[in-house]
Amino acid sequence: MDMELEATLRPPEYPMEPYPAKVITLATGGKMVVRQVDRDVVPILLEAVRPAMEVERDYYDIVAARLYAELLGWSRYRVKDEFCIIGQIDGLLVGIVNSRMYSPILGISLHTLAIERGLRIGAHLFAAKMEHHIEYLGQEEVLITAESPIGFRRWMIEYGLEKRDGQHELGGATPFALTRELYFNNKERLVAGERPVPAKLMEVAEREIKVASEDDILEKILGAKRRKIQ
Amino acid sequence: MRPVVVSGVGMIPFERRDEDSLVDMMAMAGLRAMDDAGLGDRPVDSVYVGNMASGLFNHQVSVASALVDRLSLMPAAADRVENGPASGGSAVKNGFLAVASGFNDVVLVIGGEKMREVIGPRATDIVACMTHPLAEYIYGVTLPAMAGMFTRLYMEKYGVTRKHLTEVAVKNQENGLLNPYAHIQMKITMEGTLTHPQAHVNNPVVADPIHLYDCCPVSDGAAAVLLTTEEIAKELSKPSVYIAGVGQATDTHTLQERSDPTELKAVQIASQKAFEMAELTPQDIDVAELHDAFTILEIAESEQAGFFPLGEGGKAVDAGETRIGGSLPINPSGGLKARGHPVGATGVAQVVELVWQLRNEAGEHQVEDASKGFSLNFGGFGNNVLAFVLRREG
Amino acid sequence: MNKITAYKCNNCGQIMYPHHFRCLSCYGRDFEEINPEGKAKLITYTVVNELPWGIDERGRVLGVVKFDNNVKALGVINVDKPKIGMKLIAGWEPVRVIGGQKVYGLSFSKA
Repeated sequence: MDMELEATLRPPEYPMEPYPAKVITLATGGKMVVRQVDRDVVPILLEAVRPAMEVERDYYDIVAARLYAELLGWSRYRVKDEFCIIGQIDGLLVGIVNSRMYSPILGISLHTLAIERGLRIGAHLFAAKMEHHIEYLGQEEVLITAESPIGFRRWMIEYGLEKRDGQHELGGATPFALTRELYFNNKERLVAGERPVPAKLMEVAEREIKVASEDDILEKILGAKRRKIQ
Repeated sequence: MRPVVVSGVGMIPFERRDEDSLVDMMAMAGLRAMDDAGLGDRPVDSVYVGNMASGLFNHQVSVASALVDRLSLMPAAADRVENGPASGGSAVKNGFLAVASGFNDVVLVIGGEKMREVIGPRATDIVACMTHPLAEYIYGVTLPAMAGMFTRLYMEKYGVTRKHLTEVAVKNQENGLLNPYAHIQMKITMEGTLTHPQAHVNNPVVADPIHLYDCCPVSDGAAAVLLTTEEIAKELSKPSVYIAGVGQATDTHTLQERSDPTELKAVQIASQKAFEMAELTPQDIDVAELHDAFTILEIAESEQAGFFPLGEGGKAVDAGETRIGGSLPINPSGGLKARGHPVGATGVAQVVELVWQLRNEAGEHQVEDASKGFSLNFGGFGNNVLAFVLRREG
Repeated sequence: MNKITAYKCNNCGQIMYPHHFRCLSCYGRDFEEINPEGKAKLITYTVVNELPWGIDERGRVLGVVKFDNNVKALGVINVDKPKIGMKLIAGWEPVRVIGGQKVYGLSFSKA
């Protein structure tokens, strides 16, 4: 590769404070480690995202297809100032969120993919994403949109987001904004997590990002397969 | 009145079922009940379909007529029965009366609902349509809001706590894991839903003091029972389970006009009538399926139906008496909380569960030596309630 | 109209709201139309976060009250920290939009 040419193709990046990992106790009593990951794990994440591209239900296919492109693009330095946070339970990958900094003060929320359903994983990880934008990256506002009605209800209505003019970079959709004020007003209700992550849990999470089989992922997304009933 | 036997039962797993239409789901459940009874080609005299809101959820009406066609049951008589979330119970009652009166010999009762065809807030609104249009609906009252107001009063009067409510949810979801037909197949813990300092993020307020895990899910599904005379039932190899008692009662439409809003008078009267007819008392019952659309209702109904003194239902849950293996197992199926609540199907599914229990066919969630069962189907917010007592022969 | 219409049975004095064609107590059919009067005591309430289609405002407080003249009704409670037993005064405001039209109903604030 011509590194000089490659260097001109890569735009300069904003310095980003790292997101401190946290652990969330879920309704099942299980512990989900929520941590930021770097480009090197993208190939593993793509394995988990790929099966969801076949699932029309709840717009999983569009979310997965776009997320796939964003993660791949980020890993190859073709998406500027993106970050990625994942959720793991006992090392198993249960959700991925990604976002980017448009400017030091404005964030653009990209996607939220929950692989385990029924545990508010998507809600928890979305909240973590917002926590990073506002509290650790110090931004003023994050623009959000939702491909799925579930997402819309979860975020626009739950947070009371403010509508904005213009177009969100995801397909030109109507953008809604989470301001610092809205974030802090809703934080207690919507943002969970304890820090630091106990060393043992962190060790398991960092040692390996386990990805469920394609069958398992589809089963998790579409609902439990029915047991044999005679 | 002639004795009425539940000769066949069947249901399909309750869950989100995008691929199946309402009538198809009901037909599948109907076939299972007919096959369970060994009906073969014998004709069905009459079909009762319990369904609350097919017109609103699914843009289809006259679903009993559609169902008869789908199962090629013509020229059977067919009626749709509507009683809000007690549509299933009312359908069972109507089927019972048809056989008990001598009018029919073989009656198929099917309950079904397909609620996930619409999005969440629309489903909430459709369900809210059962409230009083001027005195309640216009204010944005939802069923969880009714439950919230009721729960607050019950907590004040009897000292029921959120811990009691959560114990009901934990128990029922544990039971759901043992029931392959249950919608919710997930264990929850007290820590994750109540005691952890951040549990409220997992378990947010729906209508204070009711939280997310106090509410049953929104489900699709269908269940069916085949009711026959004793003679016809004897031609089968399965032990006969009789509908020994049926009771129904109503109360005021609005919550505010109840003489005591913590009293579920319709539950009390319907239960008394069912026990009287069956010549049994609550103490005779081995297993109960109560209507826990909200966890508070399992506790309140267990008291108001006569199983525990008023104010003691919470303590009974706390002491483990209502678990499988306890002195009175309640909702071994997982109840509405975990089995799910496709509204029209529930009343029928409760009877299906009782028959499985009394025939010793409940598999992993079997209650030992159950020969007498009780079910309660709660319509509106307690303003139209049905109670059933079932007993196994011998 | 800026209030609800309640009913008093001319035979036995039973107070009713909403309308019934026969008295709840004595089954009589002759009623006097009355308005709720005086302050309203809060009997129970809830804070609604899961909204039905058509309502967007999270955290609406709904409650059942009993007026000084024994009329009982449900309405929107515009009080920050509601408590059972507190005394409120009734108002009348748009409570919902149905079919594009504002629908008015009872609201209550601190007395």
